[in-house]
Amino acid sequence: MIAFKNEWLLFRRSRLGLVMILLLAALAIASVVAGLVEVDRQRAAIERIHPLQKQDVSAIANWVTKTGTAGDAAYFTFHETWDPPSRLAFAALGMRDVSPYLLRVRALGLESQLYDSENYNPELALPGRFDYAFVLVYLAPLFVIALFHDLISGEREAGRLRMLEATPGAGRRLWVRRIGLRYLLLVASLALPLVAGGIVAGAHLQGIAAMVGLTAAYMAFWVLVAWLIGRLNIGSAASAASMAAAWLLLTLVLPALAHVAITRAVPVNQGVELSLAHRDAVHGAWDIPQEKTMAEFFRYHPEWSDTPPTDGTFHWKWYLAFHHVADRSVAPQAQSYRQGLLERDELTRWVGAVLPAVGVQAAFTRLAGTDIQAQLTYQDRIRAYHTRLRTFYYPYLFNDRPFTEADFAKAPVFAPG
Amino acid sequence: MTYHEPSGLPLLIANLVVDYGAHRVLNGLDLSIRPGEIYALLGGNGAGKSTTLAAIMGFVPPASGEVRVCGVAPGSAPVQARRAIAYLPENVALYEHLTARENIQYFLGISSERRTNAEIEAAFNAAGLQEDAFNRRVAGFSKGMRQKVAIALALLRHVPLVLLDEPTSGLDPRATQDFNRLLGGLRERGSAVLMVTHDLLSAADTADRIGFLDAGRIVQESVAEGPDRYDVRALHRHFARPVAA
Ligand SMILES: Nc1ncnc2c1ncn2[C@@H]1O[C@H](COP(=O)(O)OP(=O)(O)OP(=O)(O)O)[C@@H](O)[C@H]1O
Ligand SMILES: [Mg+2]
Repeated sequence: MIAFKNEWLLFRRSRLGLVMILLLAALAIASVVAGLVEVDRQRAAIERIHPLQKQDVSAIANWVTKTGTAGDAAYFTFHETWDPPSRLAFAALGMRDVSPYLLRVRALGLESQLYDSENYNPELALPGRFDYAFVLVYLAPLFVIALFHDLISGEREAGRLRMLEATPGAGRRLWVRRIGLRYLLLVASLALPLVAGGIVAGAHLQGIAAMVGLTAAYMAFWVLVAWLIGRLNIGSAASAASMAAAWLLLTLVLPALAHVAITRAVPVNQGVELSLAHRDAVHGAWDIPQEKTMAEFFRYHPEWSDTPPTDGTFHWKWYLAFHHVADRSVAPQAQSYRQGLLERDELTRWVGAVLPAVGVQAAFTRLAGTDIQAQLTYQDRIRAYHTRLRTFYYPYLFNDRPFTEADFAKAPVFAPG
Repeated sequence: MTYHEPSGLPLLIANLVVDYGAHRVLNGLDLSIRPGEIYALLGGNGAGKSTTLAAIMGFVPPASGEVRVCGVAPGSAPVQARRAIAYLPENVALYEHLTARENIQYFLGISSERRTNAEIEAAFNAAGLQEDAFNRRVAGFSKGMRQKVAIALALLRHVPLVLLDEPTSGLDPRATQDFNRLLGGLRERGSAVLMVTHDLLSAADTADRIGFLDAGRIVQESVAEGPDRYDVRALHRHFARPVAA
């Protein structure tokens, strides 16, 4: 205990170490605050959309009810869907700033709506992701380097190593104490802001504990790297350079190479391409004989097959039908897009088993519910909701029922997970 | 075959050979020191004096021969041996951003030893460190002041064997006198002292025996006798022109 107190005194007096710890704590605090602010902003954006939605709907209802045309209602009414951030999302914003967490959909073809997110939150794609996971994965190892590169070599270079070695009790225990103290300070400067952020966000204890555990494990990995390099006995400057090289390799170069390899191994069309294919299908539908489109539609919805046929002029039921047929026509592509994303995710998990930087980043976004899985889950919810939405309008269209003011209120409401 | 130590002598070296690579530094060194005895080891630069101390500390392995510290071989049980040794290295290096007192507390803390402030101050006084320096950071210390802190540290470790590598280097004449007195204290305490020095006068004043190291072994040994203790002129002649191997 007294020896540990002495180590603390020694550490405290060497200004550089203390400054490093405080700097890391400041970065951790800044990242947690930035994460909380961003999550708050997302929540507020979601909150804001509810009243807007009501206004929109009542504006549309005002003139649609004059004619009672269900097709107008289906065409013009946007229905809100949203994916509220999890309570741990502040720690790892993940894909949330580039992929939508708010999407207003119409009963028209879904696929082109899904990938039109850029129209929706364009500003969100701009700022980099400065979150806790970023500070931990990329910046914290640099602090390990700063604190550990001269742990032993610094003593040798100062000529103190002999004095230390001559002192009984200065063996392994001394280094365990020194390493342990620095390690604890590093983990504390990261974990305390994280825990505080978790409490502010009202996150579950297990989730926070898992993130703290990941933090401790990741820091332990880097301390181990530093210790192994320190054992090479190559002097402080060479140690620092080697550790910086290890950092560059393990957090930047190898993950980037792995990323390239994965994108090569699993080619995935961009969502935009899917969106374009869908639009082509929709536009092409105008040139296809209506009976052909309707026959195709009835394959998916036989329950409407004995309703009166269309007469070659415009009818909303035909319009919605060809939108759905367009969705179906790109379904295999949508499926393979989704499959590709999952395969990449799976491969990334394998890479993460070897590269801690990748693994920890992935584990954080998983815990925070901001990973690709969470994104696809939201998409699934949108799809399910969209089906309910379409089938809500079909009876009005196929039975030629007028769409009244009261019917607007009957439209299905999205339920977030 | 069981081998019994002839004694638990603080220091016993028999036929010690130490090589640095192909370079034989110690070549059949014999040296033993009794409790309360002060031994001054003299010799030219590069004679192997510091290496002798390093071998006693277990820093360098012997190629052959024996080293025993209170019956313990530092080569095979360095920690146990070092528990019995206080060592003042040739180049003293302390923690610059700690005060003199904190340095002492830090190093003693490593070996779980605790001394009261009064004991630490007594050691500083014995080593001749001025009082206003006790609580100052070592970063502003002169070489001699640092040396005094390290001497105080060695003094505070109550051990059977004290190894001092050029303890008076950097000390002014007054401080050297203080130091000589301090050696007397160690003798009274019963500690054996092995002191490497170039300070012939100091050695003649304090040592019970003086040995000359040359070509890896002790080539001449003088024992203090009578009121004059040593024939310093003879010592000097020898020191200036060591016997060739
Ligand atoms: N770490 C080492 N590696 C290789 N050779 C060494 C090493 N340390 C000492 N030597 C060699 O061993 C010999 C004895 O060195 P040592 O330091 O013991 O001399 P010394 O008697 O203490 O000299 P000085 O009076 O200058 O302090 C020298 O020739 C030196 O070059
Ligand atoms: Mg020497």
